[in-house]
Amino acid sequence: MHKFPFNTVLIANRGEIAARIIKTLRKLGLRSAIAYHEADALSPAVSMADLAIPISGRSPIASYLDIAQIIGAARKASAGALHPGYGLLSENAEFARAVIKAGITFIGPAPEIIDLMGDKIRARNFVQRNGFPVAPCAIEEDDPATFVSRATAVGVPLLVKPSGGGGGKGMRIVRDLNTLEAAIEQARSEARRYFGDSRLYVERYVELQRHIEVQVLGDAFGNLIHLFERECSVQRRFQKIIEETPSPALSPELRTRICEAAVGIARAAQYQNAGTVEFILSEDEFYFLEMNTRLQVEHPVTEMITGVDLIAEQVYAAAGRELALSQSDIASNGHAIELRLYAEAPERGYVPTTGNVLLLEYPDGVRIDSGIMQGQRITPAFDPMLAKIIVHAPTRAEAALKAHRAVRELVLLGCETNASLLARILADEAFLGGQFHTGYLEENPHLAAGNFATGLSAFLACAALLTGPVRASANAVPELHAALGSWRN
Amino acid sequence: MHHSFEIDGVDHRLWLSNSQQGYRLHLRDQVITPVAFTYHSESSGILTIAGESEPVRFAIEGELIHLHIRGRARILRYIDPLRTLAPANDGTRPLIARAPMPGVVVATTVSPGQSVSAGMALMTIESMKLETIIRSPQDGIVDRVHVKEGESFEHDAVLVTLSKEGR
Repeated sequence: MHKFPFNTVLIANRGEIAARIIKTLRKLGLRSAIAYHEADALSPAVSMADLAIPISGRSPIASYLDIAQIIGAARKASAGALHPGYGLLSENAEFARAVIKAGITFIGPAPEIIDLMGDKIRARNFVQRNGFPVAPCAIEEDDPATFVSRATAVGVPLLVKPSGGGGGKGMRIVRDLNTLEAAIEQARSEARRYFGDSRLYVERYVELQRHIEVQVLGDAFGNLIHLFERECSVQRRFQKIIEETPSPALSPELRTRICEAAVGIARAAQYQNAGTVEFILSEDEFYFLEMNTRLQVEHPVTEMITGVDLIAEQVYAAAGRELALSQSDIASNGHAIELRLYAEAPERGYVPTTGNVLLLEYPDGVRIDSGIMQGQRITPAFDPMLAKIIVHAPTRAEAALKAHRAVRELVLLGCETNASLLARILADEAFLGGQFHTGYLEENPHLAAGNFATGLSAFLACAALLTGPVRASANAVPELHAALGSWRN
Repeated sequence: MHHSFEIDGVDHRLWLSNSQQGYRLHLRDQVITPVAFTYHSESSGILTIAGESEPVRFAIEGELIHLHIRGRARILRYIDPLRTLAPANDGTRPLIARAPMPGVVVATTVSPGQSVSAGMALMTIESMKLETIIRSPQDGIVDRVHVKEGESFEHDAVLVTLSKEGR
């Protein structure tokens, strides 16, 4: 007797989220299968899955985007359901349709909803039509010939965005109208490559904005609830690096308004499964930004404060069950912070880094959602996110302290990471005071730059002592001669 | 004898000498006594420096020494004293456009035999989410394009080599 109409779930993803999904599938008594490229053969998810099916392609990423191959892997695994994770094919309606057509349950919303929300312009118009706030904008396809002049009329600062995109890709801020056309061309080229769709729109860019998003959960019976907000304002190049809940920017009254707006938007779309409505917050005004029709990277902070396993809820909803939780069951308990560990060097303009994971030790007493193992190679083939550190504590101050301790205790040798930037943010007064916005890191370049000299002599001493030839030349010199040497130089 | 370690592109010269409780560390502008290292395992130990004890995690990968001390990781490259004696660049070295970061080639805008001027675009690369244009470091003739469109490369990889014009 099965609790579900399927007993094997194929994971069409990789890295930490694939491992995270497997954990919940195990808890639910479901078998997990994963389609993987050989570049990931030594990753945690491949070793954890009950069944691992190799896929291949022109590049590792191309393999994970190959719909026919992924469905072939699902068939091979006799999977009755498929979890797309985030990124990759997770918001591709054509993929969701192909999965459903193959007789496999897609763990996510209906393809029509993915289509609606995936087209940023349609989504924006839909939200506006339903009476929710959106930022002033100009849409290219309304009249391509006048796009530049209409964009100019919106006024600077502007944000140029791809219609078919998401996740910060292809976006450009324009503060000087003379650079508008160049920004449009660059955004168009990136949009074409990332999304195969070169349509653009511009939106008024709100300075000193904060990024607030609301987790929602719906079922096939019209039940729809929210699981409070997440604040994701600490970003570099539109990529989130620290997320938390509750947001220090919301009063209880504003929290209610923004969470109810999210539920209203999701309800208007007859949303089923887990989703996230993103907003821009400026003072006490907020605008709809976009809706992500999938699990978010930062979902764990919501899980920590509500105690709800969001992936389990996704599986239940996809299996056609009625939501067992009502809005009054959802309580926010304490404060949670997530840190994203990236393979990149903030000190050198956030360039991606590569290397072999020579030593990996995670701190105790915190949640780690890891996509890497010792011995694994970190290549430029994938997104640079390696792992997430998630802490939960009674208050924001305690959570920040716990996160600071954890990120300093984490040892990853062999590839440079952003760990010391994370530690510097967690000790920064503006962050600790809750006074930050999405331009926080750009405004405080000292946080990314770090202090090169700090503790340098300890590193040099240690390297010298660990290097045979350096010790050997000391041992070859009699002590008195060595003492003379110090002032002979 | 002096030794050199490079951190983030900066060379640090130093040497060790024996002292009673370990070694003296001679840096450019200071001497620290004593310094010592006690191994606990093949990847951990305790650094003693000027009376303080610091737990250390380390990994050695050829000339690279990866260290984690006081909550911070750094990579130091030991510069072999023999290699630093190698002849300096005499001008015959080909001109090379290197990768400033790991990534993928999006488009190549030049082909072998083509003459280019300093600052001209050679190729467009993409690293994670950003497009960057690789420009010619000098005037010259494209000798070879080393990475094809769609191929990936690591940091510092040779992307395009050029020869001097009229050579």
